[in-house]
This record gives sequence, C-alpha cells and structure tokens, in this order.
Amino acid sequence: MNVIECKEITKSYGRVKALDNLCCTIEENKITGLIGRNGAGKTTLLKIIAGHLRQTSGEVKVFSLEPFNNLTVSANIIFLHDQVNLPTALTLKEILQTTGSFYPNWNHELANRLFNYFSFHPFQYYHGLSKGMKSTFNMILGLSARCPLTLFDEPTTGMDAAVRKDFYRALLKDYIEHPRTIILSSHYLDEIEDLLEEILVLKEGKQLLHMPVAELQDWAMTVQGKAPVVKEWTNDKQIIYSKKVGDDQMLTVVKNDFSAKERQLSREVGIELSPVTTSDLCVYLTSKSTGGIDDVFGQHDDDGGH
Amino acid sequence: MVLNLDGSKPIYVQLAEWLENEILNGHFDSGQKIYSQYQLAEIFNINPATAAKGLNILAEENVLYKKRGLGMFVSDEAKSIILTKRRTQTLTGLVEELAAEARRLDVSKEELIEMIKGAMTGGTEE
Repeated sequence: MNVIECKEITKSYGRVKALDNLCCTIEENKITGLIGRNGAGKTTLLKIIAGHLRQTSGEVKVFSLEPFNNLTVSANIIFLHDQVNLPTALTLKEILQTTGSFYPNWNHELANRLFNYFSFHPFQYYHGLSKGMKSTFNMILGLSARCPLTLFDEPTTGMDAAVRKDFYRALLKDYIEHPRTIILSSHYLDEIEDLLEEILVLKEGKQLLHMPVAELQDWAMTVQGKAPVVKEWTNDKQIIYSKKVGDDQMLTVVKNDFSAKERQLSREVGIELSPVTTSDLCVYLTSKSTGGIDDVFGQHDDDGGH
Repeated sequence: MVLNLDGSKPIYVQLAEWLENEILNGHFDSGQKIYSQYQLAEIFNINPATAAKGLNILAEENVLYKKRGLGMFVSDEAKSIILTKRRTQTLTGLVEELAAEARRLDVSKEELIEMIKGAMTGGTEE
C-alpha cells in the first residue's frame, strides 16, 4: 500500500520552482531516505506531505487524503525539523506530557527512558537547549509518538557522533518492534544508508531515482585505467561522472551492466573495476556537471598550457 | 563481529558471507534454525529488508531452506555448497589478482610459487 502519492506536484516560491512536476510514491512500513543537495526540494516536499504547505499545482495524497489543513492526516503524522515550534512557556517534561496527549500511540515509558538516557533535565526549557540537544529532544518526540507516518528532516543537525549513533540504533530498534512508515532526510548518507530500505534522490525539484538501497549499492561501477582504454570501455555506457587522474589515467563512473566475462577481461587489459559507495554515487548523480568541481577549474588548466 | 561498512561490497553480500562463515565454523549445524531477519537487523544495525535479502541469497543457493511460518534452516548440503562456491569463485578471483600483481612487480612464476608454498606451510616470515 502507498502511504504517500505525489502526482506532478510543483511548488513555486516567486519565480523559483522548489519542486518541479515531482512524482513519487512512498510505501507503507518502509524506512525511506530522502537525499538531495541543498535546495533540491527535500524540505518543501516534507512540508507539503505534512500539510504545512500547499503545492502550487499537482496532487498529493497522504493516507488517500489531501494533507493540507487535514486533521486526520495531521493526527497520523509527526514531522520533526530544526524549526519546530514548541511552546516556550512549558518545561521539557511538560512538552513531553502535552505531546503525548496528541498522539494515540505515544509511549510514555520510551519517552522517559530516552529523556533520562540523554541527560535532559525536567525543568529545562526547549529554547535554552543547544542545537544538538534540540535535535535530540526532537528525536525523542519523533520516536515516542510512534506515528504511522514519521518525518525527520535533517534529524541529526548539531548532534555529536555518539548521539547520532545512538539515534540510528534507537530508530532501528523501535522500528523493528513497531514497524511504521519513516522518511529521513539527511546529508550523512553513509551513516544512514544501512538503516534504509528505500532511497529517494531529488535533484532540482524532480525525482532523480527511487529504488531499494540494496540495488543502488551495485548500480554503478568505477572504471579506472589508461584514458584511451577507459574511453573505449565506457563509450557505450551511461556515464555518470568522469575525471582525469594524473597525465594519462582516467576515472569514469558508469551504470553497472558489465557481464562476468567483461569483468574478467578488464583485468587483462589493465583496467580496474570497483564498486562505488552509495554516498559517492549520490554526490555524482546530483552534481550539475559530469566533472564536478574540477570542471570549474578545468578551463583554467587548459588555457595555462603544459 | 562488525560488518565492514566501507561500501566495498553491498551489506547484504557481506551478511551472506558472514552467515556462511558461521555455518563453516560449525556455529550452525544442518537442520538448525538460523537467525531471523529481525535478529540480524538488530545485531548489525541494518534495515530488516536488507537482512532478508542476505538470507534470500543463501536460500537461492540452497544453503538455507524456508519452513513456512518457522523461519530459515541450514540445509544438509550447506557446508559443501559453500566450500565449492568459495573454491571456484573467491579463490580463483584471488589467484587471478595475485598473478596480476606479480606480473606488475616482475615476480617470476617460480618465485610466486615458492612464496605460496611458504605461506601454505606457515613459514610466512620474509
């Protein structure tokens, strides 16, 4: 079953299109990673799903309903991001109690245990917390609510490495016990990819790719070796990224459709085929040119002469 | 035991190899129930769907078999299947790499064979 269905949604802010005819679906009880560069439209998409924003055009269905201004959708979603508006007059403990009263699946015991584990003080105020502590508190709200649809936008902002690790583990453990639909946007794909089942990559407001993470892990291949040989090997393939290494070597990332025979042959002609990590691949896929930052400096190199 | 999460191999492949090692070590005998996808997810901090994919690879190779509603079990032929596969695939690949590196370093065939002999008898110093 699809929990979220987006059909050709566009969201314009003035002349800029944050989302541009985006189509995507999210299936029930899966953890999906929402990946994209800054400004790719991740937060806008989450805000529209959560019903905080209305799309300029197109159709969005969450639990088969239009999310904007919809109480049913809202009661089944928890959306955590770094600009959550929590009441400034309430202490952290009071916020936990109040939030608990909004969500039918709220687990108070889990909330309290996490609260103590991360050494929060009951009488602290949210606005007095550091950036990392705010994110940690948001995480407690997000997990304890056990909402059918849980949205985390950059949940680890400001968290130190140890807390991030704890967060990933807590998320996974609670998900195993209580499966639900979770969307996680993050810049640290290498850290979260093992938690994910699906990955949804946005580029310039459009869906670039949506597939199981396991498939993405062998979706591409790095071909490295002497430039002419690499060119010959990659000219019939879909080139994702390419750069010169030293004077005569070349590194090209292509869509992986090499046969076992080709792999064997590659060794004999002195070419090295190696897998691409998912996070590198996403950087290549979402970059605006096939040469990355090197392209910016490339022209200068050519002019300079050797 | 922690999987090598550097991305050199997909996690589900590493997981399948880890399970194969557990079977070769004798931690799981034929007919014995192996970890469920949820136990594996919990052990390695990975998505249960990824863990299921690792288990399914082994089921396709007949190392494991499914009992409806009960889980996955180690087959009678598990060990011999794993050994054959490792010999024909893994070892052959390693040998090819070894030969390529030897050529690059101008190590002669005889020298390489001597080195292998040395390594096999345990005399690995120098």
